[in-house]
Amino acid sequence: MIPSTLRVTLIIAVICYFIIILYFLKQRALNLKYTLLWLLAGVVMGSLVIFPELLIRIIHIFGIEDNMNGLFIMCIAFILMILMALTSIASRQNMKIRQLVQEIAILDKRIRELENQNTGSKNDGRIGEGITDIDNL
Amino acid sequence: MKNEEEVKVLIIIPAYNESANIEQVIHHLLDQAPQYDYLIVNDGSTDNTLKICEKRGYQYLDLSINLGIGGAVQAGYVYAYKNDYDIAVQMDGDGQHDIAYLEAMLKPLLAKEADVVIGSRFIKKEGFQSSQTRRIGIGILSFLINITTGRKIIDVTSGYRAVNKKFIGIYAKDYPTDYPEPEAIVTAVMHRGKVMEVPVQMRAREGGKSSITFGRSIYYMIKVTLAILICRLSYGFRRAKIVPADID
Repeated sequence: MIPSTLRVTLIIAVICYFIIILYFLKQRALNLKYTLLWLLAGVVMGSLVIFPELLIRIIHIFGIEDNMNGLFIMCIAFILMILMALTSIASRQNMKIRQLVQEIAILDKRIRELENQNTGSKNDGRIGEGITDIDNL
Repeated sequence: MKNEEEVKVLIIIPAYNESANIEQVIHHLLDQAPQYDYLIVNDGSTDNTLKICEKRGYQYLDLSINLGIGGAVQAGYVYAYKNDYDIAVQMDGDGQHDIAYLEAMLKPLLAKEADVVIGSRFIKKEGFQSSQTRRIGIGILSFLINITTGRKIIDVTSGYRAVNKKFIGIYAKDYPTDYPEPEAIVTAVMHRGKVMEVPVQMRAREGGKSSITFGRSIYYMIKVTLAILICRLSYGFRRAKIVPADID
């Protein structure tokens, strides 16, 4: 069994973990949507510290003999999940940025055309609706 | 059906650090195909490609961040889609692709015989044929596309392409990123597009450097192979029936 001093230390550590997450959330430095997995990890850690028998039982279900190894494997699994979630978030943002850049470029072209139209300045490029209408202004 | 004169054609020219070639390319284009609209997509170049475009009064889009060839070409498709073009042609900004073959590539689209036309340098085996190693790589990818989609396309990496209105919409929504050419063929086939190859001659680059260096070719092969497989898998056994919804 886990010695009681260690359990107290671990409980304090988990509490600190929650305080840090809540602090970040309060400061709006973390988006709640992306923090849910971290909170879930905290809940799991907390319940394992309070009810260590749970950990031992789960580990035995998976056929792991050593308790500490089991704990590590669970930690790694959680970290992998969080990393995958982060990669997927990064990919989605990448796609959104791409769309935005394309959109800005198209708007930028339109603004240039409108400016040319307004100032009536000469433009030797072909096409571009608006540019062809310079003479009608 | 529209008359040939009424068909709006946009030539998309992605350009990343092409200050050495771009004037030449546009010069050829204005000279030989003045009836078509063109659009340079400056993909966040670090040289003075943008300055040249400004000074010369070219038609261009300026991407403020470098998106890579896929993102740049797609920007052109989005522009074509929003401005209601009937046909979009993509053509490299480095002078490899000869505007003289444009008519031959547009023909199957105008006759509605194809949805996507690829300018292929290997059909008649004339002009610049690329290095031996690259041809082997292209052969492998071609074979891979053949077994995954059932279409025999020889020059799968050719960036000289023309697509009809339906595929302007599809590519505006869904165009692969990094090394997009082979994957875009799979996308086209999966959307029930008729892909056709038309023989063209390509030139060796007029200036500047190719985007694919030797060291990157292994990475290229692995990435593109995976991309083709994943792209094929993501459509499942049945081909997509989806017609692209309006993009905003």
